[in-house]
Amino acid sequence: MTDCAKTAEPSEQQPALRTAASRLCPVSVAAANWQGRLALTFCDRQGETYLSRCFVQAPLKVQRPFYPEGRGVCHGVMLHTAGGIVGGDRLSTMLQLEANAHALLTTATAGKVYRSNGQEAQQEVQISLASGACLEWLPQETIVFNGAEFRQQLRVDLEAGALWMGWEIARLGRSARGERFVCGNWRSHTQVWQAGKLIWVDPQWVAGGSEMIESLHGLAGYPVIASFALLGHPVSSELVERVRSLWEALPEQEVRSQHGVPGNALTHVGVTRLMSGLLCRYRGTSTQEARRWFTAVWHLLRWELLNRPPCLPRVW
Amino acid sequence: MLTETHLLQLIQLASPALPVGAYSYSEGLETLVHTAVLTNAERLEHWLTQELQHGAVRVEAGVMVRAYQAAIAANYAELAAWNQWLSAFRETEELREQSWQMGRSLVRLLQELAPDLNAAIAACGEQVHFAIAFALAAAHWQIDSNAMLLGYLHSWATNLVNAGIKLIPLGQTVGQKLLLRLHPRLEETAAVALTLSDSQLECCSWGLAIASMNHETLYSRLFRS
Repeated sequence: MTDCAKTAEPSEQQPALRTAASRLCPVSVAAANWQGRLALTFCDRQGETYLSRCFVQAPLKVQRPFYPEGRGVCHGVMLHTAGGIVGGDRLSTMLQLEANAHALLTTATAGKVYRSNGQEAQQEVQISLASGACLEWLPQETIVFNGAEFRQQLRVDLEAGALWMGWEIARLGRSARGERFVCGNWRSHTQVWQAGKLIWVDPQWVAGGSEMIESLHGLAGYPVIASFALLGHPVSSELVERVRSLWEALPEQEVRSQHGVPGNALTHVGVTRLMSGLLCRYRGTSTQEARRWFTAVWHLLRWELLNRPPCLPRVW
Repeated sequence: MLTETHLLQLIQLASPALPVGAYSYSEGLETLVHTAVLTNAERLEHWLTQELQHGAVRVEAGVMVRAYQAAIAANYAELAAWNQWLSAFRETEELREQSWQMGRSLVRLLQELAPDLNAAIAACGEQVHFAIAFALAAAHWQIDSNAMLLGYLHSWATNLVNAGIKLIPLGQTVGQKLLLRLHPRLEETAAVALTLSDSQLECCSWGLAIASMNHETLYSRLFRS
């Protein structure tokens, strides 16, 4: 069923070398770049979803699909085998879900974007969901090193009755070791189309060292920003209320008071309705905290819209 | 240079007396005052400056330039596409509703003041954003695009300074001084908006989004956003 054709390795570069190089400041050697590609097609056969086509080009890979909740949902784990992304890399992921297919995709580890050598690293993700298809897009967090130049473009095309749930969790600077995002750029531009109509545009940009980082209007000094979105299905205000209450129900709030901002839910998380869906925003100190809230939201929406119980990916 | 006629038309369009209900919206400021984040004129000035430099209003200004050019070229498909883009871009439900409601009011007015615009308005579909309707009026009266942006941004800033005056509260004179200090920022944002490429229509406004998202949860509200 699965035909994972591995194509040529475009670079002789090794992960260890790459990691070491990225520690140099500034990186002066222009390393050979990756042109990674991943193209997956999922199809539905009588209520069972299969990975029907799979093309990979290093450093992107996908593990053999698995079915922890039966054949109805195909779980996949994507990998970046080079350890992280450097300036000049071009990564492209194309996902196609045929009518009524249902897949859940995550990544094996947290992503890393290293300090740039001057070039921009680009990641493009194109997702197209045919009628009645559903994709749960739940990559682990990305750690954006100080000095990284990163641009992601994510585009989702939904046909009638298709549903996309996804999140993005980013840590700007290795804040656990006191690193701040003082130079570089992080861009994440998302567009979602439904039956040819643009229903969500989210063109996010953070410039390292700018006032965006510290100002209350921007990140308010918090290193972690995260978004969860559901698109393709209208959401009631009552459901928005329940999603908000899931934040209050989290066992322990780790967000600390900064810049005289009280450690108040009103200043670091929010939920709203989109034209055909829902959006949650988080700015805080902990990727784990963002993930705990988003996981709770995801589980609730799974019950409400897909009539499915929670099923955590095994790699988490 | 603006002719006298254009100047007067622009003043009318940008006036707080334009019957579109702008005074009933705070764009998240009410949440910020409620949570004691916004406590004085300096913080309000900083907030508005950030929004002008990195926020949604800068992107909106860039979209207005595109809508204005599409209107002048009578390219209604392009016009409708940018109107839809703005609907998709509005980060929260309250901000989207505000933009649509004010747009509806301005469209009703323009149908009387400038019936020639009816085809362009109809092309935009059911919901027309205030910024798009403003750009249509400017194109109709042949007000140049930089003046249009200055007028629009000035009306935006006036409205939020007035919201700050009521909420924080601030004295009227303090508010007027703040508005005057914002003028160079308005000029910068207008100049930048004229040069933005499509891929530069991007922003960082996490504080605004979160404040706006939480506005609807406030127990008592003076404002509709």
